[in-house]
Amino acid sequence: MLALENVSLSYQSRRKSFDHGAHHVLDGVSLEVYEGETLGIIGRNGVGKSTTLRLMAGILAPTSGKVRQRPGKTASLLTIGLGFRPDLSGRDNAMLAAMLQGASPKQARSYLEEIKEFSELGDSFEERVKTYSSGMLARLGFTTALKTHVDILLIDEVLSVGDARFREKAAAAMKSRISGDQTVVFVSHMEAQVRDICNRAVCLHEGAVLAEGDPVEVLAAYGEVSR
Amino acid sequence: MARMALRADATRYFLGYLWWVLEPLLYVGVFYVVFEVILHSGRADFLVFLMCGKLVFIWFSKSVNQAANSITANKGLIGRINVTKTLFPLAVIQEGVYRQMVVFLLLFAFLYLKGYPPHATWVYLVPLILVNYLMIVACSYIGACLVCIVRDFSMFISLSMTFLMFTSGVFWDVRALGDPHKTEMVLAINPLAFMLDAYRQVLMHATAPDWAHLLQIACGSLALLVIVALVMRRSSQYLALRALS
Repeated sequence: MLALENVSLSYQSRRKSFDHGAHHVLDGVSLEVYEGETLGIIGRNGVGKSTTLRLMAGILAPTSGKVRQRPGKTASLLTIGLGFRPDLSGRDNAMLAAMLQGASPKQARSYLEEIKEFSELGDSFEERVKTYSSGMLARLGFTTALKTHVDILLIDEVLSVGDARFREKAAAAMKSRISGDQTVVFVSHMEAQVRDICNRAVCLHEGAVLAEGDPVEVLAAYGEVSR
Repeated sequence: MARMALRADATRYFLGYLWWVLEPLLYVGVFYVVFEVILHSGRADFLVFLMCGKLVFIWFSKSVNQAANSITANKGLIGRINVTKTLFPLAVIQEGVYRQMVVFLLLFAFLYLKGYPPHATWVYLVPLILVNYLMIVACSYIGACLVCIVRDFSMFISLSMTFLMFTSGVFWDVRALGDPHKTEMVLAINPLAFMLDAYRQVLMHATAPDWAHLLQIACGSLALLVIVALVMRRSSQYLALRALS
């Protein structure tokens, strides 16, 4: 459904502290996402997990290598808060996010009440997003992506914030969606979540794939390097 | 997006939507005090002359200044969704268009009160405003790309706006330079000076603008706009990387 083939990504840093200012994020990464599966990506901070998701979503282009995506399939990236415009209300942001993901204004409007209800934001839904706590942002972000429809859902750490009760509710909603034919790529620090939700996992280390396959084995390899 | 931003902007301030007209009027007020009350411009119609120039100039400078920073300001959204990067400057420009419609109505009302009733030649405002819009879009696209690639351009662009304010005949008359060659040269080199003068010719003197010159500016702006938009579309992912890194 989606494949990275020997993908590298580097950029010129403003500070010349790296290799002549070049900062290598990914170095020769190959991995594949199959239809209907839930793939977990784990790794330490700064190892290139979020960048991998951005490459998959077509937001960034690799410096070398190829990103192949089956034609006609849409991928959408879900991250905590960052995508919101702080000066707009939760409602406007949800509307904007749905429309940017390809929904028509009418469709987007039809999602809004559902989003308001599931996210449990209540009256805060009409408040400006800059007044939100990080948990509220995560709730809004998660719900917006859950309720809009995309072929490949790319999730960046979203399930690891918010209070315990919402986290459980989100994980349950996630699971019911995964049990359908939703393809999901999932980045997390929380080993238990990866073990619970994913069919397959990939561990990134120093910009390259360290291990790939059964989540339990990959988590064991991650345990070795993160110690 | 523009409508949402406008609503958000209006709720942020106590005076809300009033700021749409209050801000340009305050600018005009400041210029009036300096150039008429203190420096005695010597023109009987100075306030009308100033308003025709300043209110149009603010539309241009504010739109371009804000649009230039629009890609970097939206890096949160850019890091999440692959969208054409022209969307961000366009949203800012659209915001400006809504505001400017109100400002133009205010200007027309003021002209009427000052003894310049609407005239058939005011129809020429339609092509003038359209060309003005094309100029804004072309300059904004270029600015937004430059700032996204090297942030320092943001400073350079806001300085350029100050430079343009002094050189485009906002508070002085291009036609009163004394030397017709000089006037022609300023109008030929600086499209914004030509535009401000054209607005005044139409609104104050019921005279049509120089159509050939206007067409040149329109074609130039349109060509630039199309080229930069194509470049932005092709290098969408490069711009995203620059905005995020």
